[in-house]
Amino acid sequence: MTALLEMRGIVKCFGTLRANDGIDLDVQAGQILGLLGENGSGKSTLMKILFGMQRPDAGTIAFKGRELSDHSPRAAMAAGITMIHQHFMLIEAMTVVENVMLGWPEAGDILQTATMETRIREASQRFGLDLDPRARIASLPLGRRQRVEILKAILRETELLILDEPTSNLAPTEVADLLSILRRLKEEGKGIVFITHKLPEVLEVCDEVVVLRDGRVTGRAPVADVTRGQLAEMMVGRTISTTRAHQAPELGPVRLAARDLVSPGLEPLSFEIRGGEILGIAGVDGNGQIELVETLAGLRRMHGGSIHLDGQDITGASVARRVRAGMAYMPADRAATGLVRSMTVAENLMLRDSRKPPYSAHGVLQPGAGVAKAESLIASYDIRASGPSAIVSRLSGGNQQKIVVARELDRGPAVLIAHQAAWGLDPGATRFVLDRVIALRDAGAAVLYVSSELEEVMTISDRIAVMAGGGFAGVVPHDEADMRQIGLWMSGRAA
Amino acid sequence: MSDTTSPSSGDASEAGGRTFGLRFATDRLAGRILLAVLLSMLSAAGLILLSGHNPFTAFAAMAAGAVGTPHQIGVALNRTTPYLLAGAGVAMCFRAGVINIGAEGQIAIGGIGAAAAALAWPGGMSPIAIVIVLIAAAAAGAGWAAIAAAIHLGRRVHEVLVTLLLNFVALILVQQLLAGSLGQKGAGFLQSPLMPREVWLPRFPGLDAHPGFIIAILAAVALSFVLWRTNFGFAVRVTGSSRPATAYAGFSLGRVTWGVMLLAGALAGLAGGIEVLGIHRRLIEGFSLGFGFKAVTVALLGALEPLAIIPAALFVGLLEAGSLSMQRQVGVPSALVAVIEGLTMLFVLAATVRRT
Repeated sequence: MTALLEMRGIVKCFGTLRANDGIDLDVQAGQILGLLGENGSGKSTLMKILFGMQRPDAGTIAFKGRELSDHSPRAAMAAGITMIHQHFMLIEAMTVVENVMLGWPEAGDILQTATMETRIREASQRFGLDLDPRARIASLPLGRRQRVEILKAILRETELLILDEPTSNLAPTEVADLLSILRRLKEEGKGIVFITHKLPEVLEVCDEVVVLRDGRVTGRAPVADVTRGQLAEMMVGRTISTTRAHQAPELGPVRLAARDLVSPGLEPLSFEIRGGEILGIAGVDGNGQIELVETLAGLRRMHGGSIHLDGQDITGASVARRVRAGMAYMPADRAATGLVRSMTVAENLMLRDSRKPPYSAHGVLQPGAGVAKAESLIASYDIRASGPSAIVSRLSGGNQQKIVVARELDRGPAVLIAHQAAWGLDPGATRFVLDRVIALRDAGAAVLYVSSELEEVMTISDRIAVMAGGGFAGVVPHDEADMRQIGLWMSGRAA
Repeated sequence: MSDTTSPSSGDASEAGGRTFGLRFATDRLAGRILLAVLLSMLSAAGLILLSGHNPFTAFAAMAAGAVGTPHQIGVALNRTTPYLLAGAGVAMCFRAGVINIGAEGQIAIGGIGAAAAALAWPGGMSPIAIVIVLIAAAAAGAGWAAIAAAIHLGRRVHEVLVTLLLNFVALILVQQLLAGSLGQKGAGFLQSPLMPREVWLPRFPGLDAHPGFIIAILAAVALSFVLWRTNFGFAVRVTGSSRPATAYAGFSLGRVTWGVMLLAGALAGLAGGIEVLGIHRRLIEGFSLGFGFKAVTVALLGALEPLAIIPAALFVGLLEAGSLSMQRQVGVPSALVAVIEGLTMLFVLAATVRRT
């Protein structure tokens, strides 16, 4: 029996990065295939190539025995492939039936609304979708909206359904419903690709699983033959250098203490970081990291709990007060938050300190002092710019980040919160940022280092916490870290 | 939001130049704006040709009408004053990414403030009287802007809506007051009684200009200092460039919005007060001839740069002052000036909007 879909030797490069490095993928009719992998493992690129959103550099795709090449998403849809994105492509102000008819020739030039409603009711019953065709999208919970996307696929007689992280926005009961809908689709002979990084779901619903890492297939097995532990190892199990760059100095007193932090997307979360310690936070993006750092930095309102810095209660303090108390923050979003890219290097270096000497006196800026200070920071942090008046958007990403590092560290902070501080930097700039952070720790500061790059977290941290579902799935001292355990923590709640 | 509405906030600093301090728009931006003005004048020349007149004689008549005699220069400077004051205030708002279209209403309320204070003045002490009446005008304008700021920040209504709609409320308020407590009984027009002579703005002998123009230039210079050399100005510029960075830098969006709105309201109110004391010497219905709306054009023409708004306001003031004599002498309708202003606005926007 020929496979419904055969992808052979898919290669896709972005610059020097080989996002897909010779991937083979088969899907049979009536099969649910789990596609597993960390962020950046190449899952999305592979699916975009399949759906015609990106051209592969090499490799072939055959769907129902016919070759697909140089195809557009429209051609992929016409051939019978549907992709359901994490963010639904529905018009909220319209009803279910209107969304189904949208852009679909079969709805007729004069819309056959009544006929369409009947067909929706039939399909809804057959697959247990429980959808009212006249319901407005805006009034539906996310799980139902997803079913509208599935309904569209069913009515358009899709044969291969690709679901990108379909459970990430769903409540547990909705997940169970979705899985049973998928089983029914499978019984009808549809092929399904289920992209996820959550192991329990894969084990529950998939027939076969393919694991990607660094653009290659690192594991392929029928689900019946593998355990969660094996899957986790396939996902994360590269040989990570777990040697620490520097030996930790003596631990000082507790400098940052968070107790029962609660905010939307964050479970009650408590931790302490001592002087001379780096607490690294690993985990797949979107598991509460941004909520945690922004709550600590004062950019997000919290619903409960307390934050103490050097014993001082800063729970309700403004951003400016937190900075004064000794909190430094390097946000992940450098382009819009950490820097004002249309402004000069000098202005960005004083962004969070402009109220204080040497930058200003009595509310009036001191240009001479500001430029002198900028020149000394440019020299000591090796910022490659033509001078203090260079515009930041003209600088390379590494040099832009050095501005953030210089500004936040020059203050001599008691606590540093670094979020994806080395993201997108070349190895040299990454090393520079990590070294500066380590030097700050050695000087006695407490550091919270959040990154989705596990390797980075392992290199720099004295203790490692893994975030999943808005809380810590586990915390472990660096020397006791077990990669398999960390992989399990990353892929779901505590094992 | 700032992408289309405050076109120069990125461009002005793009080419680098001096890091701090008073500065004009950078050469490149200035060049583009001058080109836009030139193109609009060329288009206007084409329109004059189409209407069967010689564009050169028409422009010559316009120039003579604007600067031909000391009297006409004075008229042009008086006309420039409200554009410069209100335009500089609008520019501060746009710099902070607050799209304040409410200058027209703030000018009208400033006029009410001036008229009410002047008519209540017990008499005597001319210089002090003028200062107090102008302060009343500025306070009234700021108060009107404060209503907009409070609604915008408190109820999260978009500032364009709030400021725009309050204009119409202000204009109706002027009518109502002139029909009632502030009005002159039996005048046949909606106007207040003539103000006491002590509060009239003096005129420079032989020039017919009142000192409003000097006040406006001082205000523009002061605003330039505030924008480029104070911490508040820095907060304004950061706010206009990136809202997430504003919060990160520890600046309060609310405080910056209040600051620029009150500043712009006070300047527009002052413009209204100067019109009332310097030109009409009474409050009349519709005394602001769309100054507040055209202040937006002027602010953009001046690249939101307080010092560059001085020539921008002069350009519009001179055009309008010269338009009547063009109509008289050449027969080209003075409404053509409105066309030139509109074209200039379009060309300037096309020349300066940042491509993202």
